Amino acid sequence: MDILDSLLMGVTWADVQSWLPGFWNGFIISLEVTAASLALGIPMGFLLALGVQSRRKVLRLASLALVEIGRGAPALVLLQLVYFGLPSAGLSLSAFLAAVVAISWNTGAYTSEIIRAGLDAVPAGQREASHALGLSALDELRFVILPQGLRIAVPALMGFAILVFQGTSLCFAIALPEIVSRAYDIGSMYFYYFPALAVAGLFFAAVCIPASFLVGWIEHRAGAYARR
Amino acid sequence: MAYDLDVARMKALSPSPLGAPSASGSPAPEPSRPVIKLDHLSKSFGTFQALQDINLSVLQGDVLAIIGPSGSGKSTLLRCINWLEPANSGRITVGDLSLDCSKPVGKEQITTLRRQLGMVFQSFNLFPHMTVLRNVSLAQERTLGRSRREADEVSMGLLERVGLADKAHQYPVRCSGGQQQRIAIARALALDPKVMLFDEPTSALDPELGLEVLAVMRELASSGMTMIVVTHEMGFAENVSEHTMIMADGQILEYGPSREVIRNPQTERARRFLRAVNDR
Repeated sequence: MDILDSLLMGVTWADVQSWLPGFWNGFIISLEVTAASLALGIPMGFLLALGVQSRRKVLRLASLALVEIGRGAPALVLLQLVYFGLPSAGLSLSAFLAAVVAISWNTGAYTSEIIRAGLDAVPAGQREASHALGLSALDELRFVILPQGLRIAVPALMGFAILVFQGTSLCFAIALPEIVSRAYDIGSMYFYYFPALAVAGLFFAAVCIPASFLVGWIEHRAGAYARR
Repeated sequence: MAYDLDVARMKALSPSPLGAPSASGSPAPEPSRPVIKLDHLSKSFGTFQALQDINLSVLQGDVLAIIGPSGSGKSTLLRCINWLEPANSGRITVGDLSLDCSKPVGKEQITTLRRQLGMVFQSFNLFPHMTVLRNVSLAQERTLGRSRREADEVSMGLLERVGLADKAHQYPVRCSGGQQQRIAIARALALDPKVMLFDEPTSALDPELGLEVLAVMRELASSGMTMIVVTHEMGFAENVSEHTMIMADGQILEYGPSREVIRNPQTERARRFLRAVNDR
């Protein structure tokens, strides 16, 4: 108990309660960044997944570059690149916008691979049947490949969405007042680093643990049509 | 054998092999002309010559069985006919459409070719995320431009014909392999093809389920459908198809009326293959 006492540094429940409004605001910001990044990033991932398989070389190379940089560079680097780097090119973004741009890019790059893998996992016979039935390439994609490929990709996409939410914690590096920034502020003001970060962790856990169970359940459901 | 009698009855209903005018008073069938004609068709995968200079014509209403050891090019031949595998050289003629395989061919022409050919795969390849009815209706709506109602009506008729109308609103996984293959046949028929291509339609099925698929195919043959069937079912080849072709090493070893080819093969290679089949 001594260790716990020294970690908690005599923080009282009243202290924690006084932090909660701040944490709550930070939590909302984290959720907003997550939602915006997924809403932009997943469609981008879908386009990139098609782009890297395009027959047009320019499109293929451009997609490949976006994917490889987005996956190759750490999210923290992308964030700082957009927030601190772009102003020198004349483009200043708010911390929130910079966060959304960087994390969307990251999301697009990773989900493109998840979606591509999902589309590739559709058995070759499905394409052959579509060809034999004279379906156009677009119809084949729309009616045969996408419904099956996306169903395969959904659990992995949702798993990635949880990672994106956790990834928003990196935004403290560009002074976006999300959850971890709040904890950091409290820490630097009162030296209550451990208790403040622990509360921040609880906020993440409160979302991520139920979400993981949800993903597991959906994974089970998604395969239902393939089971007797 | 009851089986033989049944087939004999079916054969009596079917148009004569060469399309010669029948004795009955029915309107004279059009003079026999090939529905499918292949000239000097060749296909190689890298250095492997899968098909060598194949020449073949199939007449209206003819049922052709293609047999032969695996790797002999039977399936490749079928897949070349509907352009799932583009052949390297030669000419494919289906109805009025004639394509030179050595030249680049446009997408529209390939689609036109495929719309005249119904394909049934060894592994059925039904769309697992659609009901049986949607499986049969989809291509009718998308490639023939039928309305949903029209397409569904046609589909129900075809499902009735293959004996599976009660499965229309089920998903394919709920159906046995034999049922799935019969649905696949209905799906191919839905586009009113000139010719049906079957790629080992019963090879993935146990013997009993295979029988129900063969029964549907026999009914189809007796209705006058032109069919090319890659198969290991010697009974079907001998009793249902007018002609049988034996392939080996990408070439046609034997071709002729089924009974002659199967009972009295001319080449040693064909005899060896048929002995292996019969010893089973």
